[in-house]
Amino acid sequence: MTTLEARELVKDFHVRVGLRRVRLRAVDNVSFTLTPGRTVALVGESGSGKSTIARMIARLEKPSDGAITLTGPDGQRVAERRYRDNVQMVFQDPFASLNPFHTIEHHLARPLKLHGQPHGWEDVVQLLERVSLPGRDIAGRRPHELSGGQRQRVAIARALAPGAKVVVADEPVSMLDVSIRLGVLNLMARLQREENLAVLYITHDLATARHFSDDILVLYKGRVVERGPADDVILNPQHPYTKILASAAPNPEARGRNVDIDPADVERAGAAAAFDHNTGAWEEVPT
Amino acid sequence: MTNLSAVTVEPPRGRAGWRSMLPRWSPKLGVGLVLIGLITFLGVVGPFLVGDPNTIRDISLTAPGGEFWLGTTQTGQDIVAQLAHATRGSLYIGLLVGVMATALSALFGIVGSYVGGYVDEGFSLFSNVMLVIPGLPLVIVISAFVPADQRGSWTIAVVLAITGWAASARVLRAQTLSLRNRDYVAAAKVSGEKPWRVITIEILPNLLPLLASQFVFSVIYAILSEAGLSFLGLGASNSSTLGTMLYYAQNGFALQRDAWWWFVPPGLIIALFGCGLALVNFSIDEIINPKLRDIPRRAAAEAVRVPDPVKRPDDDVVLTVENLSVVYQVENPVHAVKDVSITLRRGEILGLAGESGCGKTTLAYAINRLHRPPAEVTTGSVTFHDLPGQDGAGDDVDVLALTPEELRAFRWSKLSMVFQGAMNALNPVLSIKAQLEDVLTTHRPEMTKAQRKAKCEEVLKLVGVDVRRLSSFPHELSGGMRQRVMIAMALLLDPQVMIMDEPTTALDVVVQRGILREILRLRDEIGFAVLFITHDLPLLLELADRIAVMKEGEVVEYAEAQRMFERPAHPYTRQLLDSFPSLTGERGSFVRSGEQMTPVDRSGEPTPSGGVR
Repeated sequence: MTTLEARELVKDFHVRVGLRRVRLRAVDNVSFTLTPGRTVALVGESGSGKSTIARMIARLEKPSDGAITLTGPDGQRVAERRYRDNVQMVFQDPFASLNPFHTIEHHLARPLKLHGQPHGWEDVVQLLERVSLPGRDIAGRRPHELSGGQRQRVAIARALAPGAKVVVADEPVSMLDVSIRLGVLNLMARLQREENLAVLYITHDLATARHFSDDILVLYKGRVVERGPADDVILNPQHPYTKILASAAPNPEARGRNVDIDPADVERAGAAAAFDHNTGAWEEVPT
Repeated sequence: MTNLSAVTVEPPRGRAGWRSMLPRWSPKLGVGLVLIGLITFLGVVGPFLVGDPNTIRDISLTAPGGEFWLGTTQTGQDIVAQLAHATRGSLYIGLLVGVMATALSALFGIVGSYVGGYVDEGFSLFSNVMLVIPGLPLVIVISAFVPADQRGSWTIAVVLAITGWAASARVLRAQTLSLRNRDYVAAAKVSGEKPWRVITIEILPNLLPLLASQFVFSVIYAILSEAGLSFLGLGASNSSTLGTMLYYAQNGFALQRDAWWWFVPPGLIIALFGCGLALVNFSIDEIINPKLRDIPRRAAAEAVRVPDPVKRPDDDVVLTVENLSVVYQVENPVHAVKDVSITLRRGEILGLAGESGCGKTTLAYAINRLHRPPAEVTTGSVTFHDLPGQDGAGDDVDVLALTPEELRAFRWSKLSMVFQGAMNALNPVLSIKAQLEDVLTTHRPEMTKAQRKAKCEEVLKLVGVDVRRLSSFPHELSGGMRQRVMIAMALLLDPQVMIMDEPTTALDVVVQRGILREILRLRDEIGFAVLFITHDLPLLLELADRIAVMKEGEVVEYAEAQRMFERPAHPYTRQLLDSFPSLTGERGSFVRSGEQMTPVDRSGEPTPSGGVR
């Protein structure tokens, strides 16, 4: 039971505006727990801080405040140098996340080797077959010879290579063609079930978030505005911002409707207190 | 289980790995390599074949011919022998400097920018300081400072390397800064690679073409600078290079005595070697920037079309595309658009849905005749039915037969286009106003300044952007605002048709909703027709009047949106619809347990549906 707990995460960026340095709070007091077999979705628009959270969990950024704690099956905190054996990430753009210079085998053999696993040709082929790719055929190829969906499967295999128990998927299908998206998501669901993975699914798409995850956190400007079980948040949204997001999504059943969203309304909605479906209560806005 | 082996792998876009690091064959590369090869041969093998270059004979300044092919010097030395040794000397220095300068620039450029922070600031400052120190004077000072008897080839090489690396370091730094933010570098870090491995295994190979080009450049620089130094008498002592040959020729008054055979050959070798390296560098540049490659031009110009407009069925139709085929005339011709026929009515929003590579953008470009070779319209016609004028009947224009001048007038004023990612197509150094007015001054030269301003304000109001934003620059606007400005620009000349290629794909849903609402409102107010291209079928089902679904260049289904939503006829349409799980409804073909995966390469069989429908 490897569990990852993010507690009161804060990330500030310092931006230079003219001569002044301005503090920009990208992530503001975000807490959640990733438990085995469950998927938590972070939903938000660009600039909501969802990718920054992913990068902090993948140890690509340091949190300005707060803590990320990984607890192993024995109930003990996992040592820092074993962190990357347990936590891995799938990146958004499969065209950018594989090095064009190296073969697929290199991409998988390296993490296997780094995390002390057998890393021969056969192991790489096996790993590829776990993500439903013809391993023997593909291992010797280079990324540009694969389609987008195949590349993303390779990227998923790479994340699984170290034997990770927690996987952060940062918009794993948004760059893929629509007809292969569900295949990739289904693959992730299957692997999650087989390995009892804890998954953090980051997306801007409410519909896949609802169907793919157990819990949803809606982010606005770095702050969680609504959280709760997936169906509750989507079917019975309480927070005004979540309602706006849901109404903005294309809906073929509502042809000819006239949705008018004023940017000022969005801003006002985003500033409202957060709602937690688990407790059924509104939370105070931290000032 | 998914049978992925049957998935069609898209054709390789380029070569990868070691092979992609090799330049493509071209005449430039051939000539360059031959020049370098010959001169290197002269420098490497030559000295073994000729006699001692320093043998003094009593035949001063003999013209070429007989025993001495290139004549002799003032002291009767054989020019050929001297040339062979001098070439070797120059190549030696060139190579030394090339290696040292490249190593220095790699150290300061790559390592600094990868590590970042103060190290990068420091390294960058140091390279900048080295860059602004004028090279040649510094070289002269340093060379003059080192006593002549200690001034060997190595000293000169070190001096040249120290003064010559900074520019390359800056180029490498810029490139590394972009590479280190690539996802594959982040992925390597996440998988636990050590920094030095990230640099050498992940980043460095992708910099190889750049390093090679910088190396070649340093070699040219070194050979030329060394020649200059030696010519001034500051070169390596007791060594012979092409520069020292020129120095002795100058001191021996070769020019005044018309002894051209003494100074022309070394000069020529320097020039040809530099030329050869520069030509090779062109080819290396083409690897770094594939856009520089010569695009194969069509063998014959397109035959002049006789206007053959399609008869308008009724006044309601504004654009008729009939049996249009577009082929990319490359080695294996690609039929990007196959026999497509669509009609666009006034005030209609026609959706064109399809996945990447289905030919939807190619179709849009062909309608506007923006397609470039090797794309070519092979059959079919595009007819624009102009609004009826005063005399009652509007013209039917065969777009494919327009002359370039007519085409220029036609585009934008009758038919305008909003490109994919258009919000990044605004010129960052011009204000919104200047860019909008530019369209008017080009197409409506008769308008006065006040009229232009009024028109610009009008279109901005139309798309819901505050008029005060007119004097803003693009970077001061958000993505959604910029996209609206692009739509405003497309509206400037009151076009009857607007083609929008993924106008909202890069935007957030809330922003997208605002723009869609504007488009609908404009359609109602102005009554133009919109060809809306996107991969988002649910969006079209909500927005468009009729929808054409494209797959592999063909329109597989073409129907009213309402009908397509209720009864999608083609399996591919159903597949696309199923790919979008419904927000509030059932899960569709999305099975989270992962057991019942719908095959990715569906062979056209209807899949169990539900979901959106």
